[in-house]
Amino acid sequence: MDEVSAQEARAALAAVERGRLSVVERIAVPAWYWWFVAAGWVVLGILGDLGNPWVTSTATLLFGALHAGVAPRVVSGRHGSGELSVRAEVAGGRVTVAVLGGLVLLTGVTVGAAFALSADGSGHPATGASVLAAVIVLLGGPMLIARFRRAARVAGAP
Amino acid sequence: MTEARFDEVIHPGTRLSVVALLAAADWVEFAYIRDQLSLSDSALSKQLSTLQDVGYVHLDRETSGQRRRVRARLTSEGRVAFRAHVAALREIVAAADVSETL
Repeated sequence: MDEVSAQEARAALAAVERGRLSVVERIAVPAWYWWFVAAGWVVLGILGDLGNPWVTSTATLLFGALHAGVAPRVVSGRHGSGELSVRAEVAGGRVTVAVLGGLVLLTGVTVGAAFALSADGSGHPATGASVLAAVIVLLGGPMLIARFRRAARVAGAP
Repeated sequence: MTEARFDEVIHPGTRLSVVALLAAADWVEFAYIRDQLSLSDSALSKQLSTLQDVGYVHLDRETSGQRRRVRARLTSEGRVAFRAHVAALREIVAAADVSETL
């Protein structure tokens, strides 16, 4: 150990950090998840405008059950690729909370937008509001995960 | 706090890079490590078996269809040794920084 110079130790620590960063780059939520949520949102919006409460309720429950089935495996950001599984302490525990919290927030945005469109005389307020929500999911979801990646990059070596 | 302990098995350049990558993950596919570190299959296999021999790495082999996948993961002993090694490296750097400021 005495033979290891400070310069060599610094180089070794830099290699350690490179290894961590290459894993951090793999923090991701699969693209299909965002498309699944966006498509489900639009379908529920269309069904809402059709005005059959039974169909809308059943579809909402079905979508909720499907989402509950897939979300736990993907929203943590730790299994974005099949090549590795990011350690929880590297990914940070708040990705799941942020994604699910964002969807709850988006529900409020959808309802608010639907009321606004309805007041504006739109014939399909729920559809219009759900399309807006779908666009937010498709654009905002990957941006949110990129933000967590940036935070994990600067979080420091283990 | 992690006790600093320089580890001769982990320290050599390529092996340190492999362990550093594994330390940030639960498991990593063999192909990913190979591509990330620009190693040949045989070079990576050699490094992994050295780490496996001392109990730092565990390899899971699974076959799906015609594809054979190998996943590597650090054992708890490997994780402890890696943390201790990083702590030792930091101590070396810190000691050098102190002597430079004197």
